Amino acid sequence: MSTIEEIRQRVWDFWLTIVTVAVLAALGVQSFIGTGYVWWAQRAIPEWEAGPGYAAYVELMNLIAAPLVLVLVLVMGLCVPKRLFSRRALILVSGAMVAAGMIAWAVTGKLETGLAIYLSLAAIIQVAVVVLTVAGVRGPSYLTEGRLTKTGSGLLHLGFVLFGIVVVALQRSSWMMPVFSAAAIFSLVGTVLAFYASRLAWHRSTPREETAFEWSDEPDYPESPKSVSENPDSNGSM
Amino acid sequence: MDPKTTYIAIVNLVEAVRPIGAGLEAAIAVVGAISVLIALIPAIRAYAGKALAVLATFLVAGEVLLGWMHWRLYDLMLVVEPSTGLTTGHVAAPLWIESEKLYVWALLVAVMGLCMRRQRDELMPGALFGAGVLAVGGTLLSKPFSNPLPNLLSQYVGYLQSLAAGGMTAEGAFQGMESARQFYYNAWFMWVHPPLLFFSYGALVISFVATLLMIRHRHSAYETTAYRWARLGYLSLTAGMLLGFPWALMSWQGEAWWWSGKVNMSIMMWVLYTAYLHARLYLRTRGMWKAVAAVAVISFLILVLTYVATYVVPGAHSYASAEMGTAIAALGDAAGAISGAGA
Repeated sequence: MSTIEEIRQRVWDFWLTIVTVAVLAALGVQSFIGTGYVWWAQRAIPEWEAGPGYAAYVELMNLIAAPLVLVLVLVMGLCVPKRLFSRRALILVSGAMVAAGMIAWAVTGKLETGLAIYLSLAAIIQVAVVVLTVAGVRGPSYLTEGRLTKTGSGLLHLGFVLFGIVVVALQRSSWMMPVFSAAAIFSLVGTVLAFYASRLAWHRSTPREETAFEWSDEPDYPESPKSVSENPDSNGSM
Repeated sequence: MDPKTTYIAIVNLVEAVRPIGAGLEAAIAVVGAISVLIALIPAIRAYAGKALAVLATFLVAGEVLLGWMHWRLYDLMLVVEPSTGLTTGHVAAPLWIESEKLYVWALLVAVMGLCMRRQRDELMPGALFGAGVLAVGGTLLSKPFSNPLPNLLSQYVGYLQSLAAGGMTAEGAFQGMESARQFYYNAWFMWVHPPLLFFSYGALVISFVATLLMIRHRHSAYETTAYRWARLGYLSLTAGMLLGFPWALMSWQGEAWWWSGKVNMSIMMWVLYTAYLHARLYLRTRGMWKAVAAVAVISFLILVLTYVATYVVPGAHSYASAEMGTAIAALGDAAGAISGAGA
């Protein structure tokens, strides 16, 4: 890869991370405002939880959260498999997934269905990512902490997507517990691998204790994290 | 099961725990307050490690006493179906409910503080301060020994009272008690979900202390330590929250729990810690450490608010509308009714 392409890739990765953090922060703000509203409504509106007010509130909260979760999964789809597929392919696939979800929403008239279709497609992509990572496609040829971290990252994101499907579509289904259990196992195993790969790896490199960084505000271009073998403290999720 | 005998045994147990527990409560509050002073006054900060060991010893001793009380309560608290006389089971009260929540948090911070290895000396005053504040709050505000398990005792004594009275009241009280036994006290989620969260809260306290040191000293080693404790806390936080979801679906069917105050705050805390872990991937980018530090500090403040929300914002998780301190009064009120029925 040329230097310019490297810089572009770093900028691209950096902005994906920024978008992720911003969307997570937005979800946090939504939750905070929601808490304030619940606190107020419980005091101001008699029997608020039993009346139509609570149902309307939940519907509004779901409506606000849905696009944020969609963007989060979209960014995940652009970010996690970046070492396996070209950026152009990822953008095309992500666009097609969003379109499929929108069409499902338009046809059924239910946002939940659109989200479920979108999340199901995202889950398929994540499964492919995990399988390709474990198989070592375009990765290291032996099982190092690098591959473990990437596998962990893929698994935990797959778990997150499956959990999204449970929340959106399976709460009253008999599939709820099996899919939820898979989501929980993938998320937790993935998190353990992503966080503690250096301790679990078969072939260990000496872990570097610190992530050195500049305390000054000197101009610099956005720098992507070094490879995991160089930076074992990275959680490797982006 | 004879309601009167059971009632007297529970009263005797609570009365037996109270004098020892009151002494322990006072001792832990004093040691906690001294710990806070040691953490704050530079001249005596060298004793922080010893103070934390003493505080942890008192907290462990208290936990042993609470464990013994819970074990005795498990023996005593049978749930019997009034119409058939068949026992459905014992009530197994976990060690992290009601007046014992803050206490468990203090205990975990103290133990984790003693287990610290990286930058142990530098982190010790902060860990001691955290454990001390939580210990003082956990004893003076919650009173786990002098006012043990107010809601459980209140409910169970009410059940005994109804059982002694008999009739439809007894059947209704049985339904309530059995439901609480199955879906709350004895539910396996209850034995996994809260302790995972309290474990994460403990780890995140240490992470916060390391973050403050990073901000003050601007040394990357503190950041690494903060991250290491944060990832441990995040792992158990994620596990705890995930395991809470199917439990909520099953036990709160039809209740207003989704997007409730406590759930909202918990989601907020989790997404902020997720944001922190993502942001620190670019720690070496210009000025990013400030954003990472800010997110870490905000995340911890939200953690504290999430805990407080349990007592402030009403909802399925909440104690906000509960009558704290009703247990002893209920014991007294019930005495006459049970004695009368048993005579």
